[in-house]
Amino acid sequence: MHTSIPVRPDQELPSDLRIQIEKITQDNTGKAGAVIQVLQQTQGLIGYLPPAALSTVARLTRIPLSEIYGIVSFYHFFALSPKGKHVIQVCMGTACYVKGGEKILKTLKKDFGLEPGGITEDGLFSLETVRCLGCCGLSPVIGIDNNIHRKVRVSQVKDILSAYK
Amino acid sequence: MSLLTSTKELTNLKEQNRKRFMRLEKKIQVKVHLGTCGISSGANRVLDAFLREVETRELTDSVVISKAACIGQCGREPVATVIHPGTGRVIYCDLNEEKVPEIVLRHLIGGHPLTEWTLDISSPLFTLQETRIMHNQDLDPMEIEDYIARDGYQALAKALTGMAPEEVLEEIKNSGLRGRGGAGFPTATKWGFVRLAPGDEKFVVCNGDEGDPGAYMNRAVLEGNPHSVIEGMAIGAYAIGNVRQGYAYVRAEYPLAIDTLNHAIKKAREYGLLGEDIFGTGFKFDLDIFPGAGAFVCGEETALLISIEGKRGNPRQRPPFPANKGLFSKPTTLNNVETWSNIPQIILNGAEWFTSVGNEKCKGTKTLCLVGKIKNTGLVEVPLGTPMGQIVFDIGDGIPGDKKFKAVQIGGPSGGVIPAEHLNTPVDYESVQELGAIMGSGGVVVMDEDSCMVDVAKFFLQFTRDESCGKCTPCRAGIPKMLDLLKKISEGRATLEDLDTLTELAEMISETSICGLGQTAPNPVLTTIRHFRKEYESHIIEKKCPAVVCESLFNAACRHGCPVGINVPKYVAHIAKGEYLQAIETIRERNPFAAVCGRICHHPCEAHCRRRDIDEAIAIRALKRFAADWHFNNATDLPPIEPFPVTQDKKVAIAGAGPTGLSCAYFLAQMGYGVTIFEALPVGGGMLSVAIPEFRLPRKVIQQDIDYIVRRGVKIKYNTPINANFRIRNLLESGFDAALIAAGAQRSQQVGIPGELEDVEGFYYGLRFLRDLKVGKTVRVGRRVAIIGGGNVAVDSARTALRLGASKVDIFYRRSREEMMVSDIEYNEAVAEGVNMNFMVAPTRIDNDNWRVNGLFCMHMKFSEVDASGRRRPVPIPGSEFFVEADTVIAAVGQAPDLSFLPADSRLERSAWERLVVDENRLATNVPGIFAAGDFVTGPDLVIYGIAAGRRAAIAIDKYLRGDISRVEMYDPKVKITPESADIPAADTWEPQPRVVAQTLPAESRKRSFEEIELNFWEDKARKEAQRCLRCDLEAGE
Repeated sequence: MHTSIPVRPDQELPSDLRIQIEKITQDNTGKAGAVIQVLQQTQGLIGYLPPAALSTVARLTRIPLSEIYGIVSFYHFFALSPKGKHVIQVCMGTACYVKGGEKILKTLKKDFGLEPGGITEDGLFSLETVRCLGCCGLSPVIGIDNNIHRKVRVSQVKDILSAYK
Repeated sequence: MSLLTSTKELTNLKEQNRKRFMRLEKKIQVKVHLGTCGISSGANRVLDAFLREVETRELTDSVVISKAACIGQCGREPVATVIHPGTGRVIYCDLNEEKVPEIVLRHLIGGHPLTEWTLDISSPLFTLQETRIMHNQDLDPMEIEDYIARDGYQALAKALTGMAPEEVLEEIKNSGLRGRGGAGFPTATKWGFVRLAPGDEKFVVCNGDEGDPGAYMNRAVLEGNPHSVIEGMAIGAYAIGNVRQGYAYVRAEYPLAIDTLNHAIKKAREYGLLGEDIFGTGFKFDLDIFPGAGAFVCGEETALLISIEGKRGNPRQRPPFPANKGLFSKPTTLNNVETWSNIPQIILNGAEWFTSVGNEKCKGTKTLCLVGKIKNTGLVEVPLGTPMGQIVFDIGDGIPGDKKFKAVQIGGPSGGVIPAEHLNTPVDYESVQELGAIMGSGGVVVMDEDSCMVDVAKFFLQFTRDESCGKCTPCRAGIPKMLDLLKKISEGRATLEDLDTLTELAEMISETSICGLGQTAPNPVLTTIRHFRKEYESHIIEKKCPAVVCESLFNAACRHGCPVGINVPKYVAHIAKGEYLQAIETIRERNPFAAVCGRICHHPCEAHCRRRDIDEAIAIRALKRFAADWHFNNATDLPPIEPFPVTQDKKVAIAGAGPTGLSCAYFLAQMGYGVTIFEALPVGGGMLSVAIPEFRLPRKVIQQDIDYIVRRGVKIKYNTPINANFRIRNLLESGFDAALIAAGAQRSQQVGIPGELEDVEGFYYGLRFLRDLKVGKTVRVGRRVAIIGGGNVAVDSARTALRLGASKVDIFYRRSREEMMVSDIEYNEAVAEGVNMNFMVAPTRIDNDNWRVNGLFCMHMKFSEVDASGRRRPVPIPGSEFFVEADTVIAAVGQAPDLSFLPADSRLERSAWERLVVDENRLATNVPGIFAAGDFVTGPDLVIYGIAAGRRAAIAIDKYLRGDISRVEMYDPKVKITPESADIPAADTWEPQPRVVAQTLPAESRKRSFEEIELNFWEDKARKEAQRCLRCDLEAGE
């Protein structure tokens, strides 16, 4: 389960979130590369980084918003749009690819209308591809939230997803 | 826990914990290995189950259950080690909660290990490994005291109190340690640069941004042996001088590694092993983790350091090198996780110990991730210089299933592929680089024949395109251009010039990019072109993806995998609808031997069937037989088979009425040519008739297919050999406009051992043996029959010998089952009938007693290095000779074309291998109008390839006769789906439906009879089986 507090992309941040981000910024002051850690932890709070969060971080760290955006758009870890309640990560590392990871991706598209970067209409699932979850011995794998599902066959995808409500 | 203010206190702590270990050794220890792979496979549930079970059975006094690190058996997780004072150490794998009570009851209490659930620790998987980096994997990584008990931090103590920084540097230099993250730069040299660089604030950084897909060895070290990294970095800081702070950059995708390392740092600080005044020596050093945010380019040193500064990780031009201007513009050394982890052991055990393994240029060990199409997937640690073949076939135990090894990809997106012929390459930095790959961090992805090399290159290039930071033009703009060209190739739109452009572009990008990412990104493309050029050319020229992966080239995988391109989904769908006439007509569009191939084809179509992803492949071959037999059984009720109308005035002669000659004749007749086949024997069918025994392929069936071809207008002249009196040339002079030689490969090859004399009674060559029987000669076998060889002829001879009354039949084959070119069905049938298989045995002499076979001298073999075919070469084990009594010996070690019927003065050009030289595409010989095809050209091959060659020859001859000099093009391009073919529904469910299996005669009743073993489908069964088809051809055409 995701613990994030939902904020719509066009919304202002509620004050309690702003206070938490301020605290995160204070905790990281003086650390090497503080802004990346602040952004990581902020995303941990919300689930993604809405525009309001970016400008809050920019104001607090006194780093121009353009630079913040440059960082956020550079690293894969950061998400600029909301994710589903459950995030499906299909591993497209070499081992998973060789063992048919792409077939899983096709099944998700065909049976659930999910494309990488997309989200289901009910907001239950969003899909992303990742480059190696480091579970190559279990390939092909998909990660849902923090659970790794091992040696997935296309015929199992439906059953695996049905366990997440 | 208190601060350790001196090395003596560390030693005391060590002794305390060693005693604790010794007390534990008297008890039964259960260690559950909790790496990321283990946890995701349910290792925590297994741990809980052990705790619960031991608790309820009141064993807590005698059994200790602990957590331990990953031991690399990633494919067999969850894994637990049980150390029992009575029975020693065993490793359980594939555990689950249900197995735990059984283990507790029978092993922990009863003292009997459940060997069926354990890994064999005497197998090469364990014995060929050298665990140095991985030597603490049986400890709990969360317990610093465990590490200390096993000499942890003793190296740091030794360095700080007994060695000058220069001495530490010297020791590392003597060890020859080279960077484990990529190019293998000498570690001591790197440190030396930083030590000499001016500045009073310097940094050490650990590169744990392990971004190569298919590599996770660093994760395993961070999760399993985190203190070795911390200790190594502290020693490095001491050796370099003026270093007070280190950073470990660990990718965010490894949450467990970050947690474990964080915990380890916290504990080390609590003991004063990090911080101010370590061991009271005045040396201070601290370490922080920087979680990476997911950018592959940050594995590059300048990018990583910039990233720690909190910016976009764009690499920068070097010089200045990080040794002078690194993190925060201060001198910095950056080493990989594994490099750091090696340091404490070198200091503790000395450089000499370290150099005791490895080869000339590369010392020590390397951890590798062995993944992909390999039986033992996981993490292994081997001495540098271990041959790749040994890693794949001994440690990894080879390729799963009945697939063939194709290549390994080493070094991730910066690396390259190594094909079968280079499997003896020692795995060290230089040797791997010579082949165009790099060691990288050590990801080894094994690929089998189902991997397309163009697709693999595309995969890696997509990766580097996505990961390019965009700073320099060659990488940002060049890689997408390369990708465009690769796409063109994989879609069959490219020309050979595109392949040259691709190579040129690749070389340019690798020479002109700023950082390692761009410089190495072309490697996968360059190495696949270098080692698999034919596969690229096949996509470009033949529009064929040999591995049946590149979907733009085909509608249905089964059809693309069929050498003659039968429209499989269409005929299967016709059967599903009960339209059997249309089904057989669809088959015969491409293959006149429907009844024959319905029985003995090796059915590559089924190997590519997509239904295998759900349950099992469609029984395509058996359905073909059903359609063919239906046609012959109902012939009287069906419209008569008319000859194809002759519309051409040119005529073609064919030598040989085997599958190739007959197929060529059939397709030429279809095009309107008059065709005459000249056959030396009184029967047609070639190898089908002479070599395949009745119980697999009845004579009647072959004749049905031949009769069909004759009815379509092909003339066959039997008993008409081509020889010195009746020459190919004479044919062209006597009214034929073109001729095809399709004489097959029927000359038995010799084993090449003493006593191999055809005059000895009881000795046969397999082909002769089968042929004599087929043509009705009396063939006798003795009671004990020994067969030499491992192919179809060997197995068919064995089964035939049984049917002729032999009581003991042994096959002696010098390799193993995996190398036998015999299908599982055939093999299992032979074994069920009572044929004994003797693998890794080679005969050395056939013994005779007064010209009667007496027996066979043999030797046991073992595998040595891998040969150019990607198979391990068998070599004799000295002193292992033994004698086998036998009254009949049958040698079946292969066949070759027989060119002896061609006159010595023939103008036809021959190769060194006693074969004719022909153009691969047009099958033309050097003499205009004379063509050659099939086994006669290629040597013995499977029947479907002979039929494919016949079809190619027909198209080539037609072109020749029309004066068309263009190349033969035989591909079936991807087409839009017609409403007519879409009319047949696909199976609409993902639910597994088992494959319908054709019945066979029981082994007991069949082994004394020549009756056909496999029975035909009943109609309802055939339709049911056909309805399982998923109709991928329709989906692909949308």
